[in-house]
Amino acid sequence: MDRTAADHGAQLFDPEFLQRLESLSLVSRRLVRGQQRGERRSLVRGRGIEFDDYRAYQAGDDYRYIDWNIVSRLDRVFVKLFSEEEDLDVHLFLDTSASMAAGMPSKLALGKRVAAAIGYIGLCNFDRVGVTAFASEQGPSLARLRGRARAFDLLRFLDGLEPAGRTDLEQALTRRLGATGRRGLLVVVSDLLDPRGYAAALLHARHHRFQTFLVHILADEELAPQLAGDLRLIDVETGRALELTVDAEALRAYATARDAYFRDLEAFCFRHAIDYVRTASSVPADVLVLRYLRQGGLVR
Amino acid sequence: MTLGAPAALWGLAALPLLVLLYLLRMRRRDQPVSSILLWQRSVPALAAFRPSRRIERSVLLALQLLALSAMVVGLARPAVLGRAVAGRDVVLVLDASLSMQARDVSPTRFERARSEALAVARRLEPGQRAAVILAAPHPVVLAPLSADHRAVAAALRRAEPWDAAGDLDAAVTLASELADSAADGRVFVWTDAARGAPPAAAGVTYQVVGTAEDNAGIVAFRVLTDAVRPEALVRVANWGRGARRIPLDVRLGDAPVYRATLAVPAGGTASAVFPVQGAGVLHAHIVTHDVLPEDDDATALLAPAALGSVLLVSHGNPALERVLRVLPVARAVETATVDPAAWAAFDVVILDRVDPGPLPPGTYLVIGAVPPGLPATASGVAAHPGIATWDRQDPVLRFVDLSDVRIDRALELAVDSGRVLVAGATPLVWEYTGRGVRALVLGFALEDSDLPKHAAFPILVRNMLAWLSVAVDHVAVGDEVQVPAGAERAGSLTDPLGRHVDVRATDGAFVLPPFARAGLYRFSTAAGTRAFAAEIGSPNAGMIRPGRAPAPVSTAGTSAGTVLVHVPLWPWLLLVGIAALLGEWALATRQRGGDA
Repeated sequence: MDRTAADHGAQLFDPEFLQRLESLSLVSRRLVRGQQRGERRSLVRGRGIEFDDYRAYQAGDDYRYIDWNIVSRLDRVFVKLFSEEEDLDVHLFLDTSASMAAGMPSKLALGKRVAAAIGYIGLCNFDRVGVTAFASEQGPSLARLRGRARAFDLLRFLDGLEPAGRTDLEQALTRRLGATGRRGLLVVVSDLLDPRGYAAALLHARHHRFQTFLVHILADEELAPQLAGDLRLIDVETGRALELTVDAEALRAYATARDAYFRDLEAFCFRHAIDYVRTASSVPADVLVLRYLRQGGLVR
Repeated sequence: MTLGAPAALWGLAALPLLVLLYLLRMRRRDQPVSSILLWQRSVPALAAFRPSRRIERSVLLALQLLALSAMVVGLARPAVLGRAVAGRDVVLVLDASLSMQARDVSPTRFERARSEALAVARRLEPGQRAAVILAAPHPVVLAPLSADHRAVAAALRRAEPWDAAGDLDAAVTLASELADSAADGRVFVWTDAARGAPPAAAGVTYQVVGTAEDNAGIVAFRVLTDAVRPEALVRVANWGRGARRIPLDVRLGDAPVYRATLAVPAGGTASAVFPVQGAGVLHAHIVTHDVLPEDDDATALLAPAALGSVLLVSHGNPALERVLRVLPVARAVETATVDPAAWAAFDVVILDRVDPGPLPPGTYLVIGAVPPGLPATASGVAAHPGIATWDRQDPVLRFVDLSDVRIDRALELAVDSGRVLVAGATPLVWEYTGRGVRALVLGFALEDSDLPKHAAFPILVRNMLAWLSVAVDHVAVGDEVQVPAGAERAGSLTDPLGRHVDVRATDGAFVLPPFARAGLYRFSTAAGTRAFAAEIGSPNAGMIRPGRAPAPVSTAGTSAGTVLVHVPLWPWLLLVGIAALLGEWALATRQRGGDA
C-alpha cells in the first residue's frame, strides 16, 4: 500500500475532527490494572499522585508517605496511599463480514470510522489499543499500540479492511479474548446479524470481565426495507434464500420482528452491564462519536 | 343476442396471455440482502395472512380476466332483442272497476295492472309522450299527454280503484282520441273485461288480468222509510257457477239487527227485507270467502226522517198536501204568504204557482212559474206539450214512469243553463244549480195535468225532495253529490278510509268530489255534519269473470304496441370492465400500500 498514513487519516477523518478527538478520553467504569504507568487510575496503590486512602503505618513503609499532620493531631502514625496511574487496554473488535457492506455509506465504513476514533482517543491518552477484524474466522489484527505516533498504523490498518465472509462473533471473541491475558475495555462494532446469535459471544466477554461496549450498526434498508413484490431474498453471507411476497403486511411483520429483536438485545445488554449504542450507517461518524458515544458513556 | 363486430371476439385470445403473464409474474425476483435473519423472524407472522393473500392474488387475476373479457366482448358490440313501446304518443288506461280489486292475482288485479303499466312507462323512449286515464264510472285523466315520464309514473302510482263498474268503453274512446291513433298513437289498456268484451280499436292493446270467476256480493242495501214502518232491504248476488248459501249479518252500530242465511242461485240474487228502527249506521256483512271481499260489506243510514223540512207556499194544492203528509219529511208547513225571510228555516221551499220575486239562496221546488233571476224565461203557454223524453237514470226520475201522463198546458220555457230532465214540445222539468240556488222547476201546474192521479206522482215528489234536500239514500259510488251551502263557505269531506278532502262552496252549493269507495262519508261544515252512505255503483260491478281481449286492429305500419329493438349491451360491459379494473387497482394498491 503506497499511500501514506496521513492519506489514510485524511480518508477516515478530517484534521479538525482528529483535533477534537484529542481532547477526549475513553471512560473505564472500573479500575484496571495496566502494564506501564499511564494516565488512568489503576488497582495498584503506590507511587501515583492521586490520593486514595490512609492506613496505619507498618514496618517497612516509606517514611515519606507518613502524614505528619495526623500524627500531630492523633498521636498515631498513618501513611497516605496513592493510586498508581497506569495505561488502559482497549480491544477493538470490528465486524468485517459481507453483511457489513450494506448501507450507504456502508456499515463497514462507519465501523472503521468509529474504531479509528476510539483507537485514536486511546492512543492520545497513552492507552494500549489493539484492533481485531473478524468475520467467521478471526481476521487480521493489529498488535497493541501505544502513543499517538502509532495512530497512522491504526488508520492504515483500518483502511485496508474489506467486507467478506460470514459473521461468527462467538468464535472470533473466544479465540481473541482467550489469547490475551489483559483485561480492559472491549469495544465491539458489528451489525450482529449472526444466525448463531450474539448472546454466547458477549457472555464470553463478560466472563473474562471485560468492560464491554457494543456499537450496533445497521443499514437504513435493514431498519426500514424499501422492498416490494414477489422476491427471493438471498443472504449475502450464507447464500440462503427466502421466498417472500413483500407487501404492507410483510413489512409490518418485519417491523414487528425487528422491534422484538432490538428489545431482546437491549434487555440482554442491560442485564449483563454491557453498554449499548445502536446507530444507522447513515449517521455521520463525528455525530456518532461526539454525541452518541459520549452520551453512551464510552468517551468523555 | 347479436354481435355487431364478432371479429372483436378474437381479442379473447389475450386471456391465456394474461394468465401466462400472471404465471410469469409469480416467478420471484432475486434480491440480495445483508441478512435474512429478521425476515425469517417475521415469517411466522406472515403465515397467518398466507391463505387470504392467496385468495387475494386469485381475485386480482379474476378481476383482470373479467375486465379484459368485458372489454373485448364490448368491442364486439353485443345487443339483445328487447321490447320497446311503439308509437309516438302512448296512453295507458287502467280499469278501476270494483272487480279489479279481486285478489286472484297477487296482490290484486289492479296492482298487477299498475305494475305492468309502470313497466311500460319505464320503457318509453325519451321524448315519447304518454298519458294516464283511469276507467272509473266516468273516465278520469290522471296525467295528460306529456313527455315527463316521471309525472306519468307518479300518476300511475296514485291511481286507485273504485267500488263501482268502470266505463271502459268511454275511457278507451277518450284514450284513442288522446293518442291520435291514426298518427301512430298507442293505447294500452289493463282490464279484466269482466262486464263484456271491451271495444276493439286501431292502436289499442288490451292486457287482461285475472283468473277467478266466482264471487258473491251485496248489490243493494237500502233503508225504506216510506213505509209505515221503516224496512231495510239487502240484496245479494251470486256470479259463481253454483248456488251458494251465504250467511248475512246486519248490525246497527254494534247491536245485531238481522241474521239469516240466504240461498243464492248461480247467476241470481236473493233479497232479505226486515224491519228496522232507531237511528244510526247499519252495517251488512256476508261471509263468502271469495277473492273480492270489498263487496261483502255494505252501509246504510237509518235516519228518523229521510227527507228534510218542507215549506209549501201555495194557495191550495190538495194533491201535493196529501203527498207531503205521507212522505217521511221531517216537517211540513203550509202557507199562502210569500215571506222569503222565513224560508231559510226549511230545507226545501215549494213555490206552487206563486210569484216570489228574486229567489234568495236556498233550495226550491217551483211549480208552474219561473222566478226572476233564474236563467230561464217563460215566453207563453204551450197546449198539450206531451212528454217525449225523460232521463230514467236521473235520481229525480228513478222509478218514475211518465209514459201515460197527460199535460194540458205548460209554460213555454227557454232555458240558458241547467239540465232539462223531462221534455215534450217544451222543457217540462228543469234542474238548475247556481248563484246559491238549487232548484227544480215544473213547467206546468199540477191541476193542468193528470200526474197526481198516477202512481209516479208520489215517487216523483219524493225523488225531487230527496234530490233537493240531498237525502242520504241512493247515493252510489261515482255519483256527484251537491249540498246546499247556505251561509257556509267551506267544509271537509271524510271518506270511508278516514281521508279528508277540503271542499269550498261554489254558487251556493258544495259540489262534493265523486265518491270512489263504498261506505260511510261524512261532510262537515261549521253548521254541522251530514252523513252519506255510498253503495257500490252498479249491480254488476261484482262480476269478476275475466273476459277476452279483442283481437288487435292493426293499421298500416303499426304493430301490437311493442316493437323489437336492439338493446346495446356494450355500455354495461364497459361499466363492468371499468369496475373490475378499479376493483383490481384498489385491491392491488391496498396490498402494496402501507408504511411499516
